[in-house]
Amino acid sequence: MPPPKEVAGFPSKENDEDQQYSFAVEYTGPPVTYDIPRAVPINVEKIPVAAVVSKVPLSNTELHIPVVPPILAPDRNKFSKELLLQPTVSPTSVIAFEERVSEDTNNCLLSGELSSYESGELAELIINNDSSSRGLAAVCSVSNEHSSKIDSCDSFDKSRGSSSRARISNDDDLNQADWGSNESVLSLDYPSSRVSSLKTGDCNNESNGDVRRPQVVTFRDIESEDGLDEDFSQDEVQAQVVRVKREPQTKGKKGSCYRCFKGNRFTEKEVCIVCDAKYCSNCVLRAMGSMPEGRKCVTCIGFPIDELKRGGLGKCSRMLKRLLNDLEVRQIMKAEKFCEANQLPPEYIFVNGQALSYEELAILQSCPNPPKKLKPGNYWYDKVSGLWGKEGQKPSKIISPHLNVGGSLRPDASNGNTQVFINGREITKVELRMLQLAGVQVAGNPHFWVNEDGSYQEEGQRNTKGYIWGKAGTKLVCAVLSLPVPSKSSNSCEEQLKSMTSRSVPDYLEQRTLQKILLVGSTGSGSSTIFKQAKILYKDVPFSEDERENIKLTIQTNVYGYLGILLEGRERFEEESLAEMRKRISSKETEPEAGSSDGSDSKTIYSIGPRLKSFSDWLLKTMVSGNLEAIFPAATREYAPLVEELWKHAAIQETYNRRNELEMLPSVASYYLERVDEILKTDYEPSDLDILYAEGVTSSNGLACVDFSFPQSSPDENIDTAEQHDSLLRYQLIRVQARGFGENCKWLEMFEDVGMVIFCVSLSDYDQYSADGTNKMLLSKKFFETIVTHPTFEQMDFLLILNKFDIFEEKVERVPLTRCEWFDDFHPLISRHRTNTNSNSINNNPTLGQLGFHYVAVKFKRLYSSLTGRKLYVSHVKGLEPNSVDAALKFAREILKWDEERINFSLSEHSFYSTEASSFSH
Amino acid sequence: MSVAELKERHAAAIEAVNDLRERLKQRRQQLLDADGHKLHSFSLLYYLAGYARSLGRSQVTFGPTDLVCCRTLQGHTGKVYSLDWTPERDRIVSASQDGRLIVWNAQTSQKTHAIKLPCAWVMTCAFSPTGQSVACGGLDGMCSIFNLNSATDRDGNLPVSVTLNGHKGYVSCCQYVPDEDIHIITSSGDQTCVLWDITTGLRTTVFGGEFQSGHTADVLSVSINGTNSRVFVSGSCDGTARLWDTRVASRAMRTFQGHEGDVNTLKFFPDGNRFGTGSDDGTCRLFDIRNGHQLQVYYQQHGDKEVPLVTSIAFSISGRLLFAGYSNGDCYVWDTLLARVVLNLGSVKNSHENRISCLGLSADGSSLCTGSWDTNLKIWAFGGHRKVI
Repeated sequence: MPPPKEVAGFPSKENDEDQQYSFAVEYTGPPVTYDIPRAVPINVEKIPVAAVVSKVPLSNTELHIPVVPPILAPDRNKFSKELLLQPTVSPTSVIAFEERVSEDTNNCLLSGELSSYESGELAELIINNDSSSRGLAAVCSVSNEHSSKIDSCDSFDKSRGSSSRARISNDDDLNQADWGSNESVLSLDYPSSRVSSLKTGDCNNESNGDVRRPQVVTFRDIESEDGLDEDFSQDEVQAQVVRVKREPQTKGKKGSCYRCFKGNRFTEKEVCIVCDAKYCSNCVLRAMGSMPEGRKCVTCIGFPIDELKRGGLGKCSRMLKRLLNDLEVRQIMKAEKFCEANQLPPEYIFVNGQALSYEELAILQSCPNPPKKLKPGNYWYDKVSGLWGKEGQKPSKIISPHLNVGGSLRPDASNGNTQVFINGREITKVELRMLQLAGVQVAGNPHFWVNEDGSYQEEGQRNTKGYIWGKAGTKLVCAVLSLPVPSKSSNSCEEQLKSMTSRSVPDYLEQRTLQKILLVGSTGSGSSTIFKQAKILYKDVPFSEDERENIKLTIQTNVYGYLGILLEGRERFEEESLAEMRKRISSKETEPEAGSSDGSDSKTIYSIGPRLKSFSDWLLKTMVSGNLEAIFPAATREYAPLVEELWKHAAIQETYNRRNELEMLPSVASYYLERVDEILKTDYEPSDLDILYAEGVTSSNGLACVDFSFPQSSPDENIDTAEQHDSLLRYQLIRVQARGFGENCKWLEMFEDVGMVIFCVSLSDYDQYSADGTNKMLLSKKFFETIVTHPTFEQMDFLLILNKFDIFEEKVERVPLTRCEWFDDFHPLISRHRTNTNSNSINNNPTLGQLGFHYVAVKFKRLYSSLTGRKLYVSHVKGLEPNSVDAALKFAREILKWDEERINFSLSEHSFYSTEASSFSH
Repeated sequence: MSVAELKERHAAAIEAVNDLRERLKQRRQQLLDADGHKLHSFSLLYYLAGYARSLGRSQVTFGPTDLVCCRTLQGHTGKVYSLDWTPERDRIVSASQDGRLIVWNAQTSQKTHAIKLPCAWVMTCAFSPTGQSVACGGLDGMCSIFNLNSATDRDGNLPVSVTLNGHKGYVSCCQYVPDEDIHIITSSGDQTCVLWDITTGLRTTVFGGEFQSGHTADVLSVSINGTNSRVFVSGSCDGTARLWDTRVASRAMRTFQGHEGDVNTLKFFPDGNRFGTGSDDGTCRLFDIRNGHQLQVYYQQHGDKEVPLVTSIAFSISGRLLFAGYSNGDCYVWDTLLARVVLNLGSVKNSHENRISCLGLSADGSSLCTGSWDTNLKIWAFGGHRKVI
């Protein structure tokens, strides 16, 4: 066969070789109207030399090289590029694909098998006139540039021969036959994705006038051709989305397993949901691996599935059940159904002419009455009545109304020509017939408003004229005309809204909607109060029965602890006053009052009776030995009366009055001690406030987390989109305590994925000292520095919560802020102008507390920006006040939102689904 | 022999012991002295490698197909933090930040169990010696045991069979005591290690903590001696490794200094007389538990760049190879004898794309499993056909 005229640029080097080398057929079809693609002369330098192939001698019989092929990484673009060692692009790479698409505009159809387009030679051009393969207009096979290197290889020649034979005979098995014999290492490594989109009109419409031929065709298997969906292809006419269709990488003879090439079409096989490769039971596990995304070849993992197979998702075959155990099968099927790569790509669904986003698709699919079997395509949606149909067609279903998806409804959405309008859409004849049968007056081309319950009114009029679906007969009519009727569940609007707020988020969306907030604080910073407050604020059941029981025991133990501290204080005070008394006695300066009240027999106001004394000694002893928790909750019943008596005793009350001198006694102690009799009852049930005040409730294991979503601000308000997304957005507040987590903060890297960090500092700590004598505020500062500079949180936003603002306000009046050396330059300006009445000064000048807060906030902000160069968010909180905590957490939410917007702002539109964080922003 | 005579001899013996102990102490001090330290450690450092070379030992070499990635276990959606093999069957348990434990069949790369954890911040996991149950621990400070044979609840979750509660900090590492399913040793951020009785759920022994000889910072790793399960070592943020006897809780038998950073990981050498460590200072070291000395340092120069931390180590069955995972995604295979890098799995194609956080060798030593922050686990094994000598 002489080389065809068309390939004029055939390199001379090739011509030198031999005649038998030509593998092109002369074109004999009808004259062509389009440009013939010209072959680029080969550049020898550019020929990629695949070292693997040249080393291993290929023979016809040996299909596998004796190397266990490593499993391909999902990122095959990179891999194949590496293998080529050349700047040429592999057929699977995106670049090549784009090039091909651009080439399509030149009306050239190329199917790149095993070839890299750039350096490939055009060798064969066949126009396939066979009408059985409708989609195929022409097959331009590009030969492999390797041929010049490995032309000595017999198998290659042979296969070439067979392929040309196959083509001449115009067989249906065009692809299976030749590529099966052309098996080589390369074809193992290059899963050829023969992607081609073409305009049909350009190619072979002269030869056979097939009108229904889709304009955008994906080159597909002949086998799957039968399943071509009519409307599916129709829809794609306007959806100008070129979709990547993956093809199986190897093909044996028809019907055989794609991996071992054994068996026939009757052997049971499992099909890859991406590329349609079929594997027999021996090979399926090897070919599909662990199936992290369901039944996909290992190489197809991460690719979108074949839409035709969507219906079969999650439906297990008998073969898998036989091969794997029940649990594995269930997990694979679950993964198949819910993993993200297998979800319907939202950008392929157009509603009222607008491509959907992830959120819109989620709304659409999770509404109470979703469109069934949603396929890619163009749809129209009437938001008022919930009517839903394919673009240019009559309604097919009534889905939930008022979903905010897609654009606005166009009058010609269903291509009607009746001049009767429903909600601004010109209806079709069938609908008009239905309306007539339902008894609706349609004379005079009226424009109707139809609500989701079927009530209709003419545009511009208030009164409802009737219900379309009200009559029993109408439903029958609808059934006959194959028009949709509303389902029962969509009857009441309110119900729907309720169910919308309470519905569960689809599984695959959960991850992107959960925002994690890390709450850190050193001991005593009140971070646990904030955590508890969040639980009480946002959870329906803040604490379970078990938790409450535990909390009760903790509170009771705490009370004993406080009592112990009081008793300790009492002893000290007793000794002090005794010593003082003795001094006075010895110096003979006994004052009459003191003498009369204390008596002379070494009794002070701090003295207690022997029975109480023994109890007190015992209590102190247990406290010292650290067994308080072990003994007390159990012994409560026994000691409760005694404790009550003790508490009411004058000596304890006297000590309690001097509680400011007892540093160990926390400020919340009085809250409990004043109700000690109530708390120590066995049937005591802690209230939310009790729990809030309780110490050590959440710190038992150092880490606690709570999932919540912010409730909608007011239920009456109309739910607009933003609110809807808010209800979808879930937050997770994770609270860790610094204690028990070491200074190295090894654990911090676990929280890499949190959205922001809330650092909690107690404002009132400025005059407190830890056991080793360092100021607690300085300790907090040091801890803050560690956390802020931790590499994990390099780009993290920080919200500093200055807690216990109420105590601080009160304390700063008594104790100067300069007590802490970090704050030694605090010189409030207003101090001398302040009037005595505090209430007055609130209006005109800030209080000392507010000034102090601002000063501390600025201190931390400066520290933060000197360490990281960024801005620190600060908020003051009164941990015990719900509103205050609520405000702070909402502030945190705003920061997170702002973050997302910033990301969106900086990225362009197309990054919408490549960047996770940006996909849920508004 | 009279009582007085006995007493006398007893006193003399005690004196002799004390004297010997004192001399030992002096000698050790001398060895570790600022001056002597350099010299001595120098000689020790190069002793092993130099001696091996003088014997004409050649370096281990690897062909391109000698260690290839033959399986990728995909399924986690978060960073993989820990993995463990079963002793007899080819199963792997892995723990990830997505809050799940997954039990894999390494042969088929199928998942046999996916266990949703009550606390998502899991740091460690372990397979029991019989392969019946798995243990895990994390930031919740508890060690949870799951029996793989127990029935799942309504949501398809495996219930926790035992919770070991008692640590005051996070649980950083856990390992079952070999040959028995009822004991497990955990290390924690509260500076202690604990031996647990799983049947009762109570602490049997606490190592460290209030005792003087315990760790002074978070304990990050434990390894139990394979030949004598009463002995284990622990590595800590204080830069030391300590050797413990499970029967002696009061004090560590030995403290191994040398690392200049947190000791992230350690593993006993197969013969049970040595152990290897991996640290934040970027080095792996080999210590001898009999004399308490450091035998070898494995350190690769990285120019002026930041030194990658060693995250996890494992020895081959013979002990000739040391696999070490680094925070920059490298995974070096060291020749333990000559202290040279034989292979870097991080630069092999198909390697992990992020930090290699854990690695482990199967019981028969035929394959290595690595877990990474890129959410995948990979199994590496001999991939080519070569004549076995």
